[in-house]
Amino acid sequence: MGQRVFITGLGLITSIGNDVPGVIASLRDLRHGIQLYPPFEPESVPVKVAAPVRDFDTASNDPEDWTYPAAYKIRREVIRGMAPHGVYAWCAMQQAIADAALAESDVGDNADTGLYAASGGSPQLMGHMLGRMHKLGVMRCSPLGIVAAISGTLNFNLVAHFKIKGPSCGFSSACASSTHALGYAYDDLVLGRAKRMFVVGAEDGNLDSILPFAGMRALSLSRDPATASRPFDAARDGFVGTGGAAVLVLETEAEVERRKSAGAAVSLYGEVAGWGQASDGHNVAISHPEGEGLALAMRRALAAAQLEPSAVDYINAHATSTPIGDLSEIRAIKAVFGEGGAGPKVSSTKALTGHGLSLAGAMESAFCALALREGFIPGSAHITQLDPECAGVNIPRQTLDEAPAVALNNSSGFGGANVSVVLKRASS
Amino acid sequence: MPDAAQSTSQTVSSGTPAAPKDLSAEKEAELRESLKRCSAATLEAALKFLKTGDVEQLPTVVIGVIERFVDPDQRAKLQEKDDELRLIEDLGIDSLTMMEIVILVEEALQMTINNDELRNLRTVGDIKVFIDCKARGLPPPQPAKFLPVEQIVALMPIQPPFLFLGEASVSSANASAKYKITGQEFFLQGHFKNNPVLPASIMLEALGQLAVLYLLEGYEPTEAGKVVNADQIFFTGCEGVRVHRVCRPGDVLSLSIRPKRMKMPLATFEGTIRVGQEKAAIAEEITLTFGLKDAATAVVAPSAADAPSLSSLPTDTPQA
Repeated sequence: MGQRVFITGLGLITSIGNDVPGVIASLRDLRHGIQLYPPFEPESVPVKVAAPVRDFDTASNDPEDWTYPAAYKIRREVIRGMAPHGVYAWCAMQQAIADAALAESDVGDNADTGLYAASGGSPQLMGHMLGRMHKLGVMRCSPLGIVAAISGTLNFNLVAHFKIKGPSCGFSSACASSTHALGYAYDDLVLGRAKRMFVVGAEDGNLDSILPFAGMRALSLSRDPATASRPFDAARDGFVGTGGAAVLVLETEAEVERRKSAGAAVSLYGEVAGWGQASDGHNVAISHPEGEGLALAMRRALAAAQLEPSAVDYINAHATSTPIGDLSEIRAIKAVFGEGGAGPKVSSTKALTGHGLSLAGAMESAFCALALREGFIPGSAHITQLDPECAGVNIPRQTLDEAPAVALNNSSGFGGANVSVVLKRASS
Repeated sequence: MPDAAQSTSQTVSSGTPAAPKDLSAEKEAELRESLKRCSAATLEAALKFLKTGDVEQLPTVVIGVIERFVDPDQRAKLQEKDDELRLIEDLGIDSLTMMEIVILVEEALQMTINNDELRNLRTVGDIKVFIDCKARGLPPPQPAKFLPVEQIVALMPIQPPFLFLGEASVSSANASAKYKITGQEFFLQGHFKNNPVLPASIMLEALGQLAVLYLLEGYEPTEAGKVVNADQIFFTGCEGVRVHRVCRPGDVLSLSIRPKRMKMPLATFEGTIRVGQEKAAIAEEITLTFGLKDAATAVVAPSAADAPSLSSLPTDTPQA
């Protein structure tokens, strides 16, 4: 086994808060970020709720029209090639760099610092660009339309603007993408290929990125923001879309020690203890009914972390509030952790945030890191009547003042990609 | 001339605004949206051009569009109305920003610009001339040729240490060049004692050298099959020379000349030298004599003479 790997910084632009303290408060008080979403107002749109990020306006197709909190200043030649989620991530990067107390030389022009990112690209800007191409001709597409729109826009922009010189790559496994990014970033650190990795998940979370999921009947048609997203509830009827960005700073133990001895105020959120993945090989869009792949992913993650299932205190479930997906995961959890009340606490924070697609894994891994450092277990909100299939799984409805020592974060994506990551309290 | 010009306007897209035409309310609204980040004067000029075909409006539109994309702290430079202002070096415009400028100019003027037409547009003046020709339906001017110092050395009959041209740009309409006073110039040892100042005669010499370069690279003799003979170019006179600024080591001279009269065997130019935005010297007239020779027998020196490539650049190459 190589280097130990720690989480030393977080950056969060989410529907439940645009910084770490705000998100902690929302998780503790179970404050959700879901609203009746103005772009869904037209009668022709059956979906009514979404969980957009606040204090940003990225509705225009022209980045120079966008507004964002005054604490951030993004130059024109930086923002011009970005998608909305690029701006969210740029801001989250600033937070993470400050949170981890990184010096400028730790970030840019440093061959030992890398960045792995995941987003679904920008359907909004892609649509706009193709519209212009068909209407005005091929040569009138914005010269930066491609780098702003295609999948990979997130890493293109961040790597260039933060002068990343180490490993960089984008991950594309839909809703498991940024958990994959986290897993492979961990591997690179363990293998000595880098000393520090930024892991970034982000999504636009707007009409164009959310509404196409209505076609597959995956979105909740609820008109009540307070209960629309309700994983594990018997009446759940689909997910609520969200966007934003989450950044985790991962560093090797040696690098943490080096920075500490150089006087940097490094504080640890927790340790990445291991990860695992497995695939369903079952259906392009539907998870395996018994959660076969996810169960194997969890077993592999625990094996990599050299932990027994009984060591896990908290599972941040992937559960998106869809009828089929939540059940697959519950069955997988039961298979790995055994039936009966002695298992880990399980909650889905998507009840509060909505489902962030490629953002989800990084965001929820960050939530786990917060739970480990702050000593709480987020509750699973909005359950009126628990799905009977969930009986026997310990799903707290309120946030608990219990400090977990080991947390596990699950993610599942299209094609049956399942990823599970194990985080440990730093002191353990 | 404009009549003849319009008959050759096929190079401009079907939306050519060379002739006055109506502008639909919808088009006007689109234009307002496209130019919303440009100055009011830019929009006004674009509307006037589209409605009346008045090409006098074009410089305002072009400068307005460039200004919109240039970093705010570089914008003051555009107000100097210096056509020699270089897009990349002076304004910090990268190739992607150049594309943004082109697309917005296309939208504003409702014309189509091809990629290959854009090469060699190095200065604000290049763009103005290009757009002007385009809007009048004239063929674009021969693009200015950019010559790095190695190529200048290979072409010129004048050689170091008496060559006062660094990089240069030559077109059929004018020529410009840079020269940085290094402080190592031999004559600065004595001019003046412990106080190096570029002699005014050298300023004039530098402008004359640029005129020589123009004759060799920018001028096309009307007589078919002939080229300018580098061995037969000599200074004959100058008029209206004024020096406005003392130039010292470290200063970068921006030299430019423009032909005023070309009548064998005399070629008369006007020339100016700037340092940054400051006027350093002007010459109302510099006149050279020149002779021609057969293009076919241009190869006087058999070795490497017709190959002004980097590999054949010994400073003793007499001419190319």
